[in-house]
Amino acid sequence: MQFKILPIKENRKLNSRYFVLKVPDKSISAQSQPGQFCEIKDLESDEPLLPRPFSIYKVEENTISFLIKIVGETTRNLSQKKTAEMISILGPLGNGFKIPKNKSVLLISGGIGYAPFPFLKNKLQKNGNEIQWLHGGKDKYDIFSYDITNYTEDGSIGKKGLVTDDMPFILGKNDIHTVFACGPNQMLKKVSEICEFYKVELQVSMETIMACGMGVCCGCIIKYAENGEVIYKKACKDGPVFDGRKVVWDE
Amino acid sequence: MSNLEIQIGGMKWKNPVTVASGTFGYEYDELFDLSQLGALVTKTITLNPKKGNEPCRLAETRAGLLNSIGLQNPGVEEFITEKLIKYDKYKTNLVVSISGSTIDEFCQIADKLNPYDNIDAYEINISCPNVEKEGLAFGVEAEVVRELIAKLRATTDKDIIVKLTPNVTKIEEIARAAAESGADIISLINTVLGLAVDIETKASRIKNGIAGYSGPAIKPIALQNVFRVAQAVDIPIIGMGGICNTEDALEFLMVGASAVAMGTANFSNPLITLDIIKGLEMYLGKNNTNLREIIGSFKLQ
Ligand SMILES: Cc1cc2nc3c(=O)[nH]c(=O)nc-3n(C[C@H](O)[C@H](O)[C@H](O)COP(=O)(O)OP(=O)(O)OC[C@H]3O[C@@H](n4cnc5c(N)ncnc54)[C@H](O)[C@@H]3O)c2cc1C
Ligand SMILES: Cc1cc2nc3c(=O)[nH]c(=O)nc-3n(C[C@H](O)[C@H](O)[C@H](O)COP(=O)(O)O)c2cc1C
Ligand code: FES
Repeated sequence: MQFKILPIKENRKLNSRYFVLKVPDKSISAQSQPGQFCEIKDLESDEPLLPRPFSIYKVEENTISFLIKIVGETTRNLSQKKTAEMISILGPLGNGFKIPKNKSVLLISGGIGYAPFPFLKNKLQKNGNEIQWLHGGKDKYDIFSYDITNYTEDGSIGKKGLVTDDMPFILGKNDIHTVFACGPNQMLKKVSEICEFYKVELQVSMETIMACGMGVCCGCIIKYAENGEVIYKKACKDGPVFDGRKVVWDE
Repeated sequence: MSNLEIQIGGMKWKNPVTVASGTFGYEYDELFDLSQLGALVTKTITLNPKKGNEPCRLAETRAGLLNSIGLQNPGVEEFITEKLIKYDKYKTNLVVSISGSTIDEFCQIADKLNPYDNIDAYEINISCPNVEKEGLAFGVEAEVVRELIAKLRATTDKDIIVKLTPNVTKIEEIARAAAESGADIISLINTVLGLAVDIETKASRIKNGIAGYSGPAIKPIALQNVFRVAQAVDIPIIGMGGICNTEDALEFLMVGASAVAMGTANFSNPLITLDIIKGLEMYLGKNNTNLREIIGSFKLQ
């Protein structure tokens, strides 16, 4: 884990909702695993006070990048950052995905849940895994790649429907070892029900509001069922990747 | 180089900079050498493990942070076997924050921790507003504080720091009760009671409802409380509440704090304590002054 103040190398707008922030770095990326995240703060403004967590999107030679959705003040400020403006980065944080070897795996992403998967896919491939990737969004603006199977609720690109629609069929027909999922909680809940039914391992990446990002403040709790008891786990330290079949999904 | 060393209670601190309970731990070790701080303060420990409050536990609002952690901690036994040893390697003072739901519980915790020589002081958390019975009742009644501190005083030779809540009418009375019953140091302020409403659900943004507010928004509240307490008692004060930079720290020293602690600011910048140590050193050097001249130099009129 490191704390660094770095200049923006590139801020690329994908559409009105998403952008990719790239910063020069060797050392954080050298320590990073897929599924880990960084806490990023815009140094130009005091507000918001707290940095915000973002998954590591891509690690390339001498750069690390983040795929970000504009939802509030920090993400809006970051979307307007120009080259050479400074941000602070704390990371890598969290546990990251467990990578199987030579297995068939299924990736399920919804909206901004796409973010941790390019890095994950890379690592899965290096470990000889066979990968299917389904991605879902509301409309065409939530679609990031045409090399995967896309679903949109309005049918503007890919199949019309939800990303989970074909999951039972795929899990029923193929020998899938692990499902990896990241996206809104409703989607993750549905994915966990399907995986529970087919008894397939499920790794989910969870989102909560965070403060310290390193296991100190106990602010980022996820409810988790273990040995018939609901226990509290820290999303920033015990997660953000959890056994999706054990997460307790609130309404 | 300016001399930042202070004598506070029975302790010698290499500088007047420490951290606020619950916002800092040995996890920061990966980022810098914690021995550089004047003291380390642990998260509050209770007699038995506490699971803490239901999530959501955090909400950021303008210039501040609401939290309702509910004193989640592993309990004193596990603290001793798993955590205490991790603080051993730091060449600085160690303050263990403790809380209980009865006076007897506070004393039992102290009894268990007393044998450990690497603990220099206890910070008595009588102010945590998050847990219904614990803390709150102690910190708001002078007579209860008097009895609690007198009993603790009888159990230990370690320094006793009493941490005050701002959520009272006459903070001077509580401070005096603590000082008269044997406290060595007073620290303040703990979080201010606060609330944020989610207008869609018409519920609190924090699951537990009313929460504790910290960060820059509470600094003026903290400053006036520190000032009033400094007028009321002769024992040293550790000031905190919204400190984000060297200038903030100087304000606290000027109104009468002998040392300062950063809480929420650690989350924004995990190296903030080091920045402030350097900043104080530079300020004293540049103005050719020393801590003794600065502390309590503020005049209301
Ligand atoms: C481990 C982790 C990885 C993440 N990875 C990414 C990523 O790669 N790309 C990305 O765009 N976003 C990611 N997020 C979500 C991102 O942290 C939030 O979108 C961000 O904090 C919003 O900040 P803001 O100041 O723009 O919005 P705010 O003004 O703080 O909030 C806007 C809205 O978003 C909600 N919100 C705020 N923080 C979170 C949060 N942490 N989780 C869920 N909802 C939140 C608020 O309740 C509010 O409704 C991740 C979150 C976590 C915990
Ligand atoms: C997340 C969080 C957890 C806290 N936990 C504790 C605690 O366990 N014990 C305690 O005495 N104070 C606790 N506090 C209060 C701080 O120690 C401090 O008194 C308060 O936050 C004001 O300082 P600040 O504005 O610099 O954060 C906590 C504060 C925060 C933000
Ligand atoms: S964000 Fe502080 S413990 Fe997870």
